Amino acid sequence: MEQSLSIFFDQTVNGLVIGNIYGLIAVGLAVIFGVANLINFAHGSVYMVGAYVGWYSIMQLGLPLPVAFVVVAVICGILGILIERVGLRPLHGSARIAPLLATIGISFILDQLVQILFTPDPQRFESPIPAIRIPIGTTSIGLLDVLIAAVAITIATLLYVFLRYSKLGWALRATSQDREAAQQMGVDVNQVNRIAFALAAILGGIAGLLVGMYFQTVYPTMSAQAVLKGFAANLLGGLGSIPGALLGGLLLGLVESYGVALFSTSYRSLFAFIIVILMLLLRPNGLFNPKRQLPPEPLTGTFIPNNKRIHIPVWATVLGGVVALSLPFFFPNPYVMQVLTNAWLIGMVALSVTLVTGTAGQISLGQAGFLAIGAYTASLLTLRLQLPFELALLCAALFTAALGTLIVLPAFRLRSHYVAIATIGISEIINQIILNWRPVTNGALGLTNIPPPSLLGHEIVRPQEVYLFAFALLVGVALLQWKLINSPLGRVWRAVREDEVAAQAYGINLNYYKGLAFAVSAFIAGLSGAFMAHMYTYINYQTFTIPLSILALTMAILGGMGNILGAIVGALVLTILPELFRDLMDFRYLMYGVMLVALIRFRPQGLLGTE
Amino acid sequence: MTQVSTNEATSPLLQLRDVDTYYGAVQVHFGIRLAVNPGEIVCLLGGNASGKSTTMKVILGLVKPRRGQVTFDGHELTTIATSQIVRLGIGSVPEARRIFPRMTVRENLLMGAYHRTDQAEVLRDYEYILGLFPRLRERLHQRGGVLSGGEQQMLAFGRALMGRPKLICMDEPTMGLAPAVVDLVLEHIQQINRTGTTVFMVEQNANLALQIAHRGYVLQNGRIVLEGKASDMLASHAIQEAYLGAGITD
Repeated sequence: MEQSLSIFFDQTVNGLVIGNIYGLIAVGLAVIFGVANLINFAHGSVYMVGAYVGWYSIMQLGLPLPVAFVVVAVICGILGILIERVGLRPLHGSARIAPLLATIGISFILDQLVQILFTPDPQRFESPIPAIRIPIGTTSIGLLDVLIAAVAITIATLLYVFLRYSKLGWALRATSQDREAAQQMGVDVNQVNRIAFALAAILGGIAGLLVGMYFQTVYPTMSAQAVLKGFAANLLGGLGSIPGALLGGLLLGLVESYGVALFSTSYRSLFAFIIVILMLLLRPNGLFNPKRQLPPEPLTGTFIPNNKRIHIPVWATVLGGVVALSLPFFFPNPYVMQVLTNAWLIGMVALSVTLVTGTAGQISLGQAGFLAIGAYTASLLTLRLQLPFELALLCAALFTAALGTLIVLPAFRLRSHYVAIATIGISEIINQIILNWRPVTNGALGLTNIPPPSLLGHEIVRPQEVYLFAFALLVGVALLQWKLINSPLGRVWRAVREDEVAAQAYGINLNYYKGLAFAVSAFIAGLSGAFMAHMYTYINYQTFTIPLSILALTMAILGGMGNILGAIVGALVLTILPELFRDLMDFRYLMYGVMLVALIRFRPQGLLGTE
Repeated sequence: MTQVSTNEATSPLLQLRDVDTYYGAVQVHFGIRLAVNPGEIVCLLGGNASGKSTTMKVILGLVKPRRGQVTFDGHELTTIATSQIVRLGIGSVPEARRIFPRMTVRENLLMGAYHRTDQAEVLRDYEYILGLFPRLRERLHQRGGVLSGGEQQMLAFGRALMGRPKLICMDEPTMGLAPAVVDLVLEHIQQINRTGTTVFMVEQNANLALQIAHRGYVLQNGRIVLEGKASDMLASHAIQEAYLGAGITD
């Protein structure tokens, strides 16, 4: 009894300590959400940069801890101002989804820069705090725990004083309550934005430093989950509320800590994602606020400026198809075949995004989840049930369509930003389930020895054959999609994209048509994932992750949202381009990030124009 | 009824000349010309979607016109930011009041003096405004969001006055208020004007606005179709029927 009590005590302390850190991350997100109405996806990267700066200052430069805090604050503060300058200010006047995508691009860039500078491997971060434990009754608290709590409480107090008693703090609050009214009081809202971003980045960076010391390690991918955890904490406390964010952070920390104690460490991330989804659906205004509708979001349709699609004559498309089709017969270079096969397969993913996001207006950042479902379903069917590949492929795609639609179904009530976040969350939950459902998915080890693709009993392993198979799938899918978006159904999708309220007023059942869009999209992504799994012959829970979803979205934007040919061209460009500069292969994702930011800024309609 | 005292000799405090405004490809204003002289109450009348509120936004710099000039007190406004325009001496009572809902009444009032640096004078104005609107003093530490519509309107007036503006722009100050409160609001506008502040107000309720204004403009589909003394406009049946929707009275 006494032992379990002390375990409970330890878990509570752990939860509160981590919760403090989540709170710091969440406050940063809340400040920015307040003044700019933006969920800053680059916030996690700032947090990661903060951890690295702290690690570098202490472990490499041997600076004392207080100095490291200052260095982190200064560097991250500058970073925050830069993010505002690049990702928000130039996009003033565009739809809100534009800065969201820009911050995603910026986070790609930051993550990649850190990876290039310090390798993707974790770095050991020995805490300069002596490992003294302060005894309390039968148990004890570490000195570091106390430090983290002290830092968090100090920051919260300073923040309170700043917001409550300084002129700038008033301006910040006024701007977040009513931006236009604040402007009319003479508040320079650009300056307020800058300050909010700097402040948020400083808090994020310090949270990173503390986490690095707490877990004694820093690694580039620590950024990915930080945003979602901060966002989960924010949702718990009410989006944009600063005290709510702190409280939400503590709550999330406790839930995670108890959850891990009850189940297993591999469940840790699952809780945050489940909280995000549940809160979005059940109490979008937070635990402490009355249940009301989410604040209105502008519709996503306005994200892409309406413009003329660049007309590609039919003969040119057919010619392109013929060239692609005859390539393996005249130029069967295995390397070229392999690169282009990848382009066709990711091209299908880009098609699936462009359908659901471009045509139907539902921003999906979760296509990787659909790929994972397709990949695992097909692999299990061929591995366990010895189903022939063709049949497994079809079943997997259909199953992905059904299951995929079912799990995004609850997100249909949401719009714009929230759809994007819900789809990310769902896709991560899928990966977490794959990781934890060991009897079926083989857990972290993944599925091995997946048989290669085959057709009518003939194994398809020669690069030309794989190429042709993938190309045939792509063409089939593209034709299907073309048929659909030029049908009355396509018209309804566009109506939903342009104006949900108006579409509803015309008697359109929104859920039904969003469901159809996601079903077709999931079908296509599932098909691609199933094929990839058999081509790779090995998959695990990390094969299909968020960067893949973002890459596919970038391809769709590059080609022109909703534009079928555009998605394929986008996939080709972004697959071939890095191959041309093989020496710069390490910079591939960096390039994707730069491209995403630049596209949104300079050519949101993409290469071929939106449809 | 106040005496109409348009002094044509002095140069206007605010002047819009040939202003064309667009939202994307849609043109909202077609060559707007209007002037507000020091000491006046001028109202801009017009129905829904006539471009009234956009006129207000153009003056405050929230929307920039594509062509034309907006001058205030010798300064060109079309090239500077809202925060600078406010500093020149234009106060705003925005449409639907736009009180900061989670700031207290006191904080809301002091936000009105955000751009001022003369702290002692700010505190004097603060006391003066609380004297003007005693209801606000009773609710000093309540959040702006919990006030009634009429109280919020007082707060919006007070907040605008805290900036010590030469000109106050009011966007539909009587909108959504109970009839008894409307009369009170109109009285307050006159009182503000008597203390030397020029008032430019946008109103949908023409008869109400013309009762207290010196001059009026009528905006229709983005064009000024009529201007004149408020008393003449009120008196003319033809004008009433053609532009102001006779029958819509308080």
